[in-house]
Amino acid sequence: MTRRSARLLAAAAAICLTASACSSTQHRGGSTSASTSAGASDNGPHKKGGTVTISNEQGQTWTCNFNPFNPAAYLESNGFVYEPLIFVDELNNQAETPMLATSYQWNADKTSIVFTIRDGVKWNDGQPFSADDVAFTFNLMKQVPATDLYALWTAAGLQSATASGNKVTLTFKQPAQPYFYFFADQVTIVPKHIFSAGDAAAHPDTWKDANPVGTGPFMVNPCTPNNIQYTANPNYWQTGKPYIQKVEYPAYLDNGPANLDLASGKAQWGSQFIPGIQQFYLNKSADNHTWSPPVLNVSLYPNLDPSHKATSTLAVRQAIAAAIDRSQVSSIGEGGQEPPANQSGVVLPTFQKYYDPSVVSSAGYDKPDAAKAAQLLSSAGYSPSHPLNLTVITITGYTDWDASLAVIKQELAPIGINLSVSDLAQQTFDTKLFTGDYDLAYYGQLTGGPTPYYELREILDSANTAPIGQSANSNYERYKNPAVDALFNQYATADDATQVSLIKQVESYMVKDVPIIPVTESVDWFQYNTADIGGWPTQDDPYAQPAAFNFPDAGQVLLHLYSKSAQ
Amino acid sequence: MKHVLRRGGFFLLTLWAALTLNFFIPRFMPGDPVNALRDRTRGKVSEATLQQMLSSFGFKPNQNLGTQYLDYLGNMLTGHWGLSIGQALGEPVTTIIGQALPWTLGLVGITTVLAFALGTLIGIVAGWRRGGRLDAILPPLFVVTSALPYFWVALLLILMFSVWTNGLLPSDFNYDTSLVPGFSPGFIGSVLQHAVLPAATLLITSIGGWILTMRNNMITTLAEDYVRMGRAKGLPTRKVMYGYAARNAFLPNLSGFAMSLGFVISGAILIEYVFNYPGLGYLLYSAVQNVDYPLMQTLFMLFTVAVLVAVLICDLATAWLDPRVRAKE
Repeated sequence: MTRRSARLLAAAAAICLTASACSSTQHRGGSTSASTSAGASDNGPHKKGGTVTISNEQGQTWTCNFNPFNPAAYLESNGFVYEPLIFVDELNNQAETPMLATSYQWNADKTSIVFTIRDGVKWNDGQPFSADDVAFTFNLMKQVPATDLYALWTAAGLQSATASGNKVTLTFKQPAQPYFYFFADQVTIVPKHIFSAGDAAAHPDTWKDANPVGTGPFMVNPCTPNNIQYTANPNYWQTGKPYIQKVEYPAYLDNGPANLDLASGKAQWGSQFIPGIQQFYLNKSADNHTWSPPVLNVSLYPNLDPSHKATSTLAVRQAIAAAIDRSQVSSIGEGGQEPPANQSGVVLPTFQKYYDPSVVSSAGYDKPDAAKAAQLLSSAGYSPSHPLNLTVITITGYTDWDASLAVIKQELAPIGINLSVSDLAQQTFDTKLFTGDYDLAYYGQLTGGPTPYYELREILDSANTAPIGQSANSNYERYKNPAVDALFNQYATADDATQVSLIKQVESYMVKDVPIIPVTESVDWFQYNTADIGGWPTQDDPYAQPAAFNFPDAGQVLLHLYSKSAQ
Repeated sequence: MKHVLRRGGFFLLTLWAALTLNFFIPRFMPGDPVNALRDRTRGKVSEATLQQMLSSFGFKPNQNLGTQYLDYLGNMLTGHWGLSIGQALGEPVTTIIGQALPWTLGLVGITTVLAFALGTLIGIVAGWRRGGRLDAILPPLFVVTSALPYFWVALLLILMFSVWTNGLLPSDFNYDTSLVPGFSPGFIGSVLQHAVLPAATLLITSIGGWILTMRNNMITTLAEDYVRMGRAKGLPTRKVMYGYAARNAFLPNLSGFAMSLGFVISGAILIEYVFNYPGLGYLLYSAVQNVDYPLMQTLFMLFTVAVLVAVLICDLATAWLDPRVRAKE
């Protein structure tokens, strides 16, 4: 390039900066007016049109891989492009929405399930969708174990998946009702004609699925490292939907920029913690709202192994559980954004149906009781004059947890527990927690399910634990109680009402044995802007988990959203 | 010639040592890729599957460490850098780095050169007119700004030019995400606009060092006999200033500059973090966070090579600029 032309280019760029509209610069996906006008012909309750921008920090630029079997990529394809058989709403007593299956039927002992597959659905490349695709998806997981993300063919005991006509039958070697959430809601169906040819067939786990062919409401068009743009699937099987015609999903590397864009209104759908949300976000506009429903517990995990003398003593754990003022921790440590938990381990109000308030109150855990705590602790041989020194491990950078632990430390000091907080890097913390190399750990399980069973089983089932020094699955405190294991085993075949009563019995063990001490509830972070977009999930209409990183829930949210300016 | 050979040998030895450390240190860090992936997938996916997944992407933790080391050395040298096992699971490391490298080179590279050039120039003038008005204002001012933590300056600039002014200048990303990348004036304008705040942050915090060292070198050099000689001969001021004083005062600064050029590709981690700028510095942070061995070791390798090459070039350049280095042989 000669010097003259370089200067010309610079001048042109400078002009463009000021004029802000350059004729030759391409914007993605054409003009918005074209998509709004398409709304005239639709017969749904809302007209089509509009764009929603997601602000969900993922800490990476997009790889533009949409393979639903790749756990580093499936958040951006499941729900958007790929769909499950049945959607199960975790926030609304497992309310079910039929998606690619119109109905299903269990056999009596719940070892076999028959799905009736929806007719008239097309993949977004025009090919017809059928029961064959569903059976193919499940059989693929058998052939390539790396794609069996939820261990259906191993842990769940899946034995066969067969299609005949519009029916698909899954047969298990044991009752599989607790796995329904995984194989009906979490597994998304992939097209046989794509995954049975070429590279996709050879390596379905590592294959780069750059142009995903799904049945879902949106298509990728286009993806760059900075931003994924989804456009509506014009032939989506739910006629008239989706109302929203475009979704922008920029790649935020950090919470800071992601939250700034939410506050300025540039993005409308937020899914991460905003510190000082009142001033930073809610006060900025009357259209800014937040509703973060609780889904899991954040708890103190005491080490129950006898080699850890203090924390394996019941009276010490009871004392800690009685001394902590959970609402104080919630309001000071979490700024009120995460509600207080309770000793039963059932997350409220989400799982109200399973909660037995009498269990908690009769044991006296419904409100903090410092006198009782001091008494319990002295029965274990500790007092303010002869304090118990305990170290709690937590993760560096979780500043809200640090604040919560500071409150807990203050509350435990007067009864005679000298708590010191040890901030560890995530990886170090994980190693210590998994292998049981700690006295107390502040931690929350990462994933639950549509009932408290899932989280409680992770925490309490002895099948999920391991001896000290070996990596435990999720029962890090090393709780072993055959009676509780038996309750979990009965759950698989029980009917709804029995399941509720089984959970209530598990709660009584939570209160009696204090295996862990729930302190606050962790939530699905959700902020939303209603200036142009309506149809968001709310406390009154919790039709799906609201955070954008929940799948396939994000797909449900997108099917409800509509643009007010397009109406 | 001997000088060049000795430098070359030293280069190879350092490279080998650095590569070896790059291999072993990450593996002695706590944590492993399976647990990192488990955290990212929120524990939803079964552990056996995660292990299988990682091994189909080339992660072989049970292989003999010696074999792994030899494979690693071979792969590093032949450019077989493997697939990411972290955040960008399954993406070739070359692609990931290829996407990030231009942005870091563009932003940090240009700013480093600019800071060096401006800083040196101001240093020369300030040193020449010692006690003058320029000397009284600029060096102390920039010494103060260079002591400020740069992420703090970054946040301050975002507050002043983006938040208070309702988005006058963009505070995140490397270009407007609604644009299709290409050589269109709008896109280039957008890239420049997005670079203003991060570049300003880097300039403000790095220019002070160059000014100060250059000014002080200048002052020492100005007291030398040959400068006085040049003046006595009646040479033009400009010639004495640049040809006699600055050329000699410049030498110590040059090796510092070479070093900082080598550090350009490691990016400015915090700057990229604060401005959501998808460059190599951020990539390194995320690789370490997610125990992504292939990406980590390739990045470390590139950083090492960049610094070593920069130092090597600087050595050779010094020999060319300063006859005394050659004469010693």
